[in-house]
Amino acid sequence: MERNTQKNGMVNLMAAVMVFIAAFVVTVFVNSLAGQGASIFLGLGALVAFASWFQMRLEENERLEKLELDELARAKGESALFDAKESEVFPARRSREQFEKFFVPGFAVLLFLLQAGGAWLLWRWVSKTTGVIVDARAMPSLSLFAIFALLLFLIGRFSVTIARLGDHRLLRPGSSFLLAGAYVCAFTAIGIAGIKTGFPKADFWMARALCVLLGLMAAEMLLTLLLEIYRPRVKGKIARPLYESRVVGLLAQPESLFTTAAQTIDYQFGFNVSDTWFFQLVKKNLLVLLLAQLAVLLLSTCVVFIDAGEQGVLERFGRPVAGGILLPGAHFKLPWPADKAYRYRTEQIQTFDVGYTPDAQSENTKTILWTVAHSREENFLVGSDPVAIQNADADTNDTIKAPPVSLITVSIPVQFQITDVKAWAYNNAAPASLLQDLATRAVVHYLAGADLNDVMSHSRLEAAQELQKQIQTAADGHDLGAKILFVGLQDIHPPVAVAGDYEKVVGAEQTRLAAVLGAQAEAIRTNDLAEAAAFTMTNVADADRQKLEVSKFAEAALFTNQIPAFAAAPSVYKQREYFKTFASATANSRKYILLVTNTQDVVIFDLEDKIRNDLLDVNVPNNSSP
Amino acid sequence: MKRNLLTLVIGAVLIIIFALLLFVFQVRQSETAVITTFGKPAAKPITEPGAYFKWPWPIQKVYKYDQRVQNFEDKYSQSLTTNGVTILTSVYVGWKISDAGTFIQKFPGDPATVSLPNVQSQLESILRSAKSAVIGQHPLSDLVNADPQELKFDAIEKEIEASVQSQLQGKNYGIELEFLGFKKIGLPESVTQTVFQRMTAERQVKINELVYDGEKQATIIKSAADRQAADTLSQASAAATRIQGEGVAEAAKTLPVFQQNPELATFLLSINALQQSLNQRSTLIFDERTPPFNLFQNLPTNSPSQQP
Repeated sequence: MERNTQKNGMVNLMAAVMVFIAAFVVTVFVNSLAGQGASIFLGLGALVAFASWFQMRLEENERLEKLELDELARAKGESALFDAKESEVFPARRSREQFEKFFVPGFAVLLFLLQAGGAWLLWRWVSKTTGVIVDARAMPSLSLFAIFALLLFLIGRFSVTIARLGDHRLLRPGSSFLLAGAYVCAFTAIGIAGIKTGFPKADFWMARALCVLLGLMAAEMLLTLLLEIYRPRVKGKIARPLYESRVVGLLAQPESLFTTAAQTIDYQFGFNVSDTWFFQLVKKNLLVLLLAQLAVLLLSTCVVFIDAGEQGVLERFGRPVAGGILLPGAHFKLPWPADKAYRYRTEQIQTFDVGYTPDAQSENTKTILWTVAHSREENFLVGSDPVAIQNADADTNDTIKAPPVSLITVSIPVQFQITDVKAWAYNNAAPASLLQDLATRAVVHYLAGADLNDVMSHSRLEAAQELQKQIQTAADGHDLGAKILFVGLQDIHPPVAVAGDYEKVVGAEQTRLAAVLGAQAEAIRTNDLAEAAAFTMTNVADADRQKLEVSKFAEAALFTNQIPAFAAAPSVYKQREYFKTFASATANSRKYILLVTNTQDVVIFDLEDKIRNDLLDVNVPNNSSP
Repeated sequence: MKRNLLTLVIGAVLIIIFALLLFVFQVRQSETAVITTFGKPAAKPITEPGAYFKWPWPIQKVYKYDQRVQNFEDKYSQSLTTNGVTILTSVYVGWKISDAGTFIQKFPGDPATVSLPNVQSQLESILRSAKSAVIGQHPLSDLVNADPQELKFDAIEKEIEASVQSQLQGKNYGIELEFLGFKKIGLPESVTQTVFQRMTAERQVKINELVYDGEKQATIIKSAADRQAADTLSQASAAATRIQGEGVAEAAKTLPVFQQNPELATFLLSINALQQSLNQRSTLIFDERTPPFNLFQNLPTNSPSQQP
């Protein structure tokens, strides 16, 4: 019986090693993340199977040694042989004890390090990698993993049963690993199948789950090592192998959940719960529950729920089912893999952008200026006024002449809706990408034949309508089954590098207007002041004239009256008028009166201004000269 | 016994499912498939959707290809126009597998990771060659022109498409071109900078036009205003002179009155002139003979002999 157990251990070891190698090769072949986790798990299983098989051999050697010694003792009775040291008499037992004392704890520590390291490295790798499963190899790999699962399940199930019936504690760790390995391979196959059935993250999440499993195993191993230090050693109580994982045992035999728990409690504290009715009930029906779950899983693929705003295309063995457009709601179908449904967002308004790539930082800005890039903008070529270009070209002395085009930046969001889901699904491999290409081409084409200034100003609205028409025509031409709902020219402006110069033109226009208005204001002032001065001038002249006339007529009237007075006393009148005038005229003058007593000495005052000497030097031309 | 039977049933079901997966494959409406037996492709590819039988790997292997139109965009590459302008262009094409049996021989390997990249690589070479050749026969104004009548955008696309199509047919790749269009047209960075300089110069022309037009108009307005003011003032001056003349003429009507006694009139004018000439502060020196200072004559004075 023991030899059979050792053979079972060897079979476990061989199966674990072979499946580990095969799984690793298939993992590399298909590039599966979950496959990597499964390979690590199976590799650990191979190590455990090897350790348990080796320990079985040591125990078998010890048993044979004991039998031989018992036989010898019975044959020879008292012998000097038994006087020898125990280590010399029981070398196999000594080897087994040394193995359990040093190798097993060391191996348990090694397992812990491999489990923890494997979990950590796999987690990091899964987070970083962008690798995807090789699509063409998915189905063969899926089948191979399923075969590995089946193989491991059959061998593992048989070994577990043998171990449980015969209470072969050393057979249990490897058997549990094989059975758990079967489930891990099945999970890996499900991950690959998930990708094939439209769940691209299935493999990723399976890999994550395996990372968690490896982490749990590492934590359990650490806990076991710690508890081993404090576990009471009862004489005659056979120790449980340190490298045996209860987590793996639980995974391998979920129906033995309570048994495992009870065994653990029994082992650590001596309680017994395996006889409770609840434990027995769950244990009996666990397989039925699992089968029911499998049936529910399969049945769940017979119903497909199409969300609001979606339509589905139903295919049966790859062929579209006649009239098989699935509208929102629940629909029945044949189970996977016979029927498959593909969903499309038909009612939802979808958007893509032409000419720019929005970025989150720019989207938050409240003000959009030409001079500040508000997204990743592209420059488009646009026609320019040929006369202006010729003039500019003539002024340029550069060796590289600027081509007769201008550059412009546009931001055009395009909104569309899928109107014919079958055309959308079956006519083009990437219809959304094609629609964006067609829209971009329409924009490039339109701008290439437009004038920069026109398209930035009065042609803007026409441009949006024309572009929508062109994009719709192109989409219909390629039978995309899409309707263009909106084409918005939300931004058309010169590139940021020259946008400032365009703004300066606006400033120059204002400067021009300011100069004209300033001149007009000054002209008004000048004219008004001139008119005022003219008015004053004529008024003064008028007043002078009036004054002159009045005064002259008054003088004439006065003179008319003076004539009789003069005629009456000519000399007296004259004298009187003279003195009257003299008195009033000289009233404010300084007067000197010279009273001459010596008339012989005449003093002559020369009151004339002296002629400047330099005037005497002026050469007067001689008029008498010929 | 019951449990073992259940286990066997589960095992059998699993075997059937996995065997089906190994022996049966599906071809979708959008796919075409080629079965290879020990690497040799079947004579006729599968183009109809449905479920098909095959021997498991490694005896037979199924290569599935997308038979819908597939899109490809070439690299944004430089070409020279016939008038010597360097431009950057990128085109998108739609292509589809027309003969999967030929295709698998020309582009063997995994469809997603080997065949498709190889097709795109071949298309890239053919496209770039055809694109450069066609663009080299046209000036830039055929591609970008403010006058739509001069634009030959569509014709250039058709020329490139025809060139690519003929090369694909000549090489018998098992694929055909469905459509082709320009995705991007641009200029190299150095040329872009010169275009920016020219656009800036154009704007400067506009700026100068506006600014100096403003100054011109301002000067014209001011000048016109000055001229109008001068006109106004000169007319006012003329009017004032005329008015003054009228006053003089009117005043002259009084002269016959004065002619009645010219002696008196002259005398009065003289004393009037005297009064006006002495109107300002002046210093007058008179001798004793001047009336009324002649009153000082014969007054007793100190003789020089009486002086010390």
